[in-house]
Amino acid sequence: MNDLKKDIKELIIQSLNLGDVTPESIVDDAPLFQEGLGLDSIDALELAVAIERKYRVTIPDEAVGKKVFSSVSALAQYVSENRPPA
Amino acid sequence: MRTMRRALVSGGTKGLGLAIARALAAAGDEVVALYAADDDAARAAEAAAQADRLAYRAVRCDVASAAAVDALFAVEGERGFDVFVHAAGFTRDKLMLMMPERDFDDVVAVHLKGGFLVAKQALKAMIARKHGRVVFVVSPTAQLGRIGQTNYGAAKAGLIGLTRSLAREVARFRITVNCVCAGFVETAMTASLPEKARAELLAAIPLGRAGRAEEIAAATEWLCSDGAGYITGTVLGVDGGLT
Repeated sequence: MNDLKKDIKELIIQSLNLGDVTPESIVDDAPLFQEGLGLDSIDALELAVAIERKYRVTIPDEAVGKKVFSSVSALAQYVSENRPPA
Repeated sequence: MRTMRRALVSGGTKGLGLAIARALAAAGDEVVALYAADDDAARAAEAAAQADRLAYRAVRCDVASAAAVDALFAVEGERGFDVFVHAAGFTRDKLMLMMPERDFDDVVAVHLKGGFLVAKQALKAMIARKHGRVVFVVSPTAQLGRIGQTNYGAAKAGLIGLTRSLAREVARFRITVNCVCAGFVETAMTASLPEKARAELLAAIPLGRAGRAEEIAAATEWLCSDGAGYITGTVLGVDGGLT
């Protein structure tokens, strides 16, 4: 799970072009949007697409998105639960 | 010249959609054309495209069905599309007070909801690539109204509203979203018009003639080109001055 969290942090930085942020500086349980990294809902679209392409996990609607994007921990949890078997 | 792109054209085996699909293919795109039911027209369009050495193939898909669209993108989504043109559609004209609920629902389902469903899937790859072109084919009926076309007019006006909002949502990813307002063109869809209606229609067009499918296709192809990269959220009238 910790590897997955690290991967997800790298994906966030890469897909959202957060060049000045390091994976270590993203707190597992801190909110990703608004406060926290200060990302907005359009950034969330981009992240949802990146997550779907990398992990084959779809974030179907805003209700799920809200829950899943609440933190790196929540996102990692959702990805590991919904990932298709390799 | 531009790099080889993949383009998806709904309703791309007949009429305007076919002309648009062929124009994109002629400009160098690899085109996947969607069609609802007419296998014979699809095979004929493929054969003609092959004879002209165009990268074109037809895939059957009911764009009004989320399950069918999901299944399409399960296969085609991997490589994604750079361009999506929504040209699928048909009319079922009746005065509104005589219009069965079903005729309203079916027309809205293909034009409006179909555009929503396919664009939603197609945008994923465009967002990942930070580039894309989406064009919805609409009609002067959306802006001017037309007796017998409350269902069609509502669906097309709906697409214009969808375009304006979606353009803002995806602008950050350098994806443009526009409408082409296709005027009166002789196709199978307009062949059913009564003679009197046809004469009235032609008389109202400032340029005084019907359009050709190739003229709609040329404007659409241009909106999909790199040169049109600063145009988004608009309705381009290709209607002889009607709107």
